[in-house]
Amino acid sequence: MEKKKTKPTLTFEHALKQLEEITDNLERGALGLDESIAEFEKGIKLARFCHGKLEEAEKKIEILQKGDDGKIAAKEVKVKNESGEIDDDDVDLQGTLL
Amino acid sequence: MNENIYTITELTRLLKAYIEKAPAFNGVWVSGEISNVTYHSSGHIYLTLKDENAVLSSVFFKYANRNLTFRLEEGMSVFAQGNLTVFEKRGSYQFIISQLKLEGIGELQKQIEQLKKKLLEEGIFDPARKRPLPFLPKRIGIVTSPTGAAVRDIIKVAKRRYPDIEILIAPAKVQGADAGISIVNAIEELNRPEWNIDIIIAGRGGGSFEDLMAFNEEAVVRAFFNSRVPIISAVGHQVDHPLSDDSADVCAPTPSAAAEIAIPVKDELIDYLFNLRGRSYTALLSRIRELNFHVDGFTRQRVFRNPLEIVSNRNLLLDDTEKRLIFAMRDIINTGRNNVLVLPDLVRMMHNVIKDKTHGYLVAVNSLEKLSPLSVMKRGFAIAADSGRNIVRSIRDIERGEDINVFLSDGSLECTVNSKTGEQFHGKEKN
Repeated sequence: MEKKKTKPTLTFEHALKQLEEITDNLERGALGLDESIAEFEKGIKLARFCHGKLEEAEKKIEILQKGDDGKIAAKEVKVKNESGEIDDDDVDLQGTLL
Repeated sequence: MNENIYTITELTRLLKAYIEKAPAFNGVWVSGEISNVTYHSSGHIYLTLKDENAVLSSVFFKYANRNLTFRLEEGMSVFAQGNLTVFEKRGSYQFIISQLKLEGIGELQKQIEQLKKKLLEEGIFDPARKRPLPFLPKRIGIVTSPTGAAVRDIIKVAKRRYPDIEILIAPAKVQGADAGISIVNAIEELNRPEWNIDIIIAGRGGGSFEDLMAFNEEAVVRAFFNSRVPIISAVGHQVDHPLSDDSADVCAPTPSAAAEIAIPVKDELIDYLFNLRGRSYTALLSRIRELNFHVDGFTRQRVFRNPLEIVSNRNLLLDDTEKRLIFAMRDIINTGRNNVLVLPDLVRMMHNVIKDKTHGYLVAVNSLEKLSPLSVMKRGFAIAADSGRNIVRSIRDIERGEDINVFLSDGSLECTVNSKTGEQFHGKEKN
């Protein structure tokens, strides 16, 4: 079965690349006024998109734990700032997913 | 009774001397299985070697065992070299080990080579199939021991480079008999779509050849290859890299290095984005100024003397979207109104745009003033225009004897060009 091709979602990387191109274009000063403004507007949208992407992550460290029922769940853990060591009494650090 | 009566000590010493001097026992190699091993706090290791029919009590002193790269475990088949001696107090003989090797290490290496050949032919190591890592991962999956150095190193690097990044650890045993299956299991788990992982880092800190064996196991090497999520092999090694390095999308010499490869520096990205935005504004502003340069008296307009005054006096709606401002500005330009009206709008727009709510990134007010054409001119810069009011950018735009206007912050000068000096000539252009 052939999958229908969907429009790829914009990635941070692509947006940044487009923004770079727009900036270069504007700096070259070869565009007309309307075009310059349209490009600029597009650039601002891309920059906002990128800033948004940078703030998407939620700053957490989790570990997978296998429960008594055999189900695997992610559990948030505390980590020592200096050493990066996991510092959480509620977590079974010897457990694996086997 | 015979007069040759030895004391126990005498006999034992004779025996000891005999055994220690016997050339057949000097530096002898034995093969056997470790049946009993004790790591003493002094650093010496006491162990028993055995085969089906006999046992040999042995000691591996601290000075001799300090180069041992793996931990001795019961059941290991080993080759040991050493000398025999007699332990007088117990009346037993003992093997003093000088060096010890895992039996079958050569065999293991041969197996790895064969596996490597097979997987190579299958295309598992094909560089062309390796995928690039996503540039900005949101969620990193780690396959390693949650108590090892690797996980700490990765977390430290991640916190430094991108404090907000999400990390999901899939705990795995990274050495021992069931390490392989444990690693495969963890990689497969992180590949499940529900965990939303962007990049997997799987590995462990450095160790001996034996320690890293799990990453040479066929199932593990294939799990790296089969990972739907782009995966980095991060096994600390000095000489021989494990086969997982070849089947992963990317390999790193240490777990820290893998984190450096996978995780961008957030602050650098933010700076770069602001830099691009700033360059775009500046470019757009100068383009607008170029295209609408009606210079007559513009510097006398109050708005140019203090653009911020306009912003504050009119109590502008700073929450307006940039889009509306840009459209409004475009209308103004399109309907051909005096450009004097355009610039306050630009100032307003700049103020809006620069005031970035999501980051609380506030550019200082003076950066606005720096962008004002007047303040640039106040610093001593001038704008030259020809008789057709076109800005003069190059000495080639003007002929000798032509009249030009030079605009300063407080007015303009009408000038005639007497001569031209080009930078590339380091002197006067002769014409």
